[in-house]
Amino acid sequence: MASLFHLKIVACDRVFYDGETEILIFPGVDGEMAIMNHHEVFTGVVEVGEIRFKLSDGSWQHAIISDGLVTVYPDGSTKILAYSCEKPEEIDTFRAQEALERAREQMQQKQSRIEYEISNANMARAMARLKGASQRK
Amino acid sequence: MASTKEIQKRINSIQDTMKITRAMYMMSSMKLRKAKQKLEDTEPFFIGTQVGIAENLAHFPDIRHIYFDNRIEDEQEVKKRRGFIVFTGDKGMAGAYNHNAIKLAEERVANLSRDEYQLFVVGEVGRAYFKNNGYNVDESFVFSSNNPSMHRARLIAEYMIDLYNREELDHIDVIYTKMLNSVTEETCVERLLPLKTHKFLKEQAKEITEDVEGTSKAALELKEGTKHVHSISSYELEAIQNGGDSWYPFYPSLKTVLEKLVHNHFTGFIYGAMVECFASEENARMMAMQSATDNAEAILHELSIEFNRVRQAQITQEITEVIGGAKALKKKKKSKR
Repeated sequence: MASLFHLKIVACDRVFYDGETEILIFPGVDGEMAIMNHHEVFTGVVEVGEIRFKLSDGSWQHAIISDGLVTVYPDGSTKILAYSCEKPEEIDTFRAQEALERAREQMQQKQSRIEYEISNANMARAMARLKGASQRK
Repeated sequence: MASTKEIQKRINSIQDTMKITRAMYMMSSMKLRKAKQKLEDTEPFFIGTQVGIAENLAHFPDIRHIYFDNRIEDEQEVKKRRGFIVFTGDKGMAGAYNHNAIKLAEERVANLSRDEYQLFVVGEVGRAYFKNNGYNVDESFVFSSNNPSMHRARLIAEYMIDLYNREELDHIDVIYTKMLNSVTEETCVERLLPLKTHKFLKEQAKEITEDVEGTSKAALELKEGTKHVHSISSYELEAIQNGGDSWYPFYPSLKTVLEKLVHNHFTGFIYGAMVECFASEENARMMAMQSATDNAEAILHELSIEFNRVRQAQITQEITEVIGGAKALKKKKKSKR
């Protein structure tokens, strides 16, 4: 077993996770990235999607995350700051489906650039949630 | 002295008012509990974004970018357009809460001509006030301050960043009310854009660490807290001191990270400010209603004493009249006999 490092995930409404982990995998801009202990110090972008990290007992914890930033500190500890982070079982599929449809509808209308980007992000979030929730079943 | 009827009328009307203030007190205390919970939940995120941006700014190399205050045009531009996001409540009856925010905003724009600033007001009270008093308010910026949500914060952030990127605004400051504890609130100003440059942070930090007595301008401003938009915050000082000079890689690129950082920080800050304001507003309203109810009780007490006194005086008068009448009748009878 690889050595553990400290991981903290902060969402806008709570601290999602604050504890030890062995490996963290998150969606980057050009594909998934993994962080293990003694990773180089850096700051990176986390895209909307699914993250997973291995707990000290060897089990994987999955979570659906919206876009944010990840930072690795000199002591190896890692922090993710994101708008939202949820466990797959916490996701309200019904709500996500509704949000997806709403976003789709808005995308079809003629919109300003800001509105387009907001709908686009809304859609990505809704799709990530649905995907995460469906994998559990 | 007023008659019993008049006093009774006043007592009734005060009692009615008291019912309203008491109900409002109950409502805002419920809302306050909800808001406090939300505030507690979002605190790690709110502080986290501020620490995050401070840490990253400490590591950013000196680059020219629109998000920093060093654009090529900056040196040529004479006039700076400032945007102020002012957070007020949707309703009045909240003590000095709305007034404090409005006053601070007025102070900020007092020396600026109309085309040098624009106000972006969240909340109905502030919007109505600024509009009626002829300030330069963005009329299409309409957001409620009730029940803050991430979605609304995102809308506000996108709207403002878009204006900034189109160079319609050169500075964006936020005026909001912070809840220090359950009795004290503080109205603060914070500059969200442009970001402070690495060089600036380093100079300020150096100034603070070098003078031991804490009498320099930068140190004083740090101690005073958020009243100055140019001063650096304690997070930034800490980040610089924790090895700010070492450069580290950004993934996938500096530009992408900067873009994301600005959006995240902006949205996070707006959300945090909205939650803080919501809690402060309810808190202010609760206290205002509490004192209104107390005042009503004091007035009622006085009035009821006065009422009793008047009633007694009336009874006494009636009795004396009856006795006087009876005596007169007796005298009449005696004299007839």
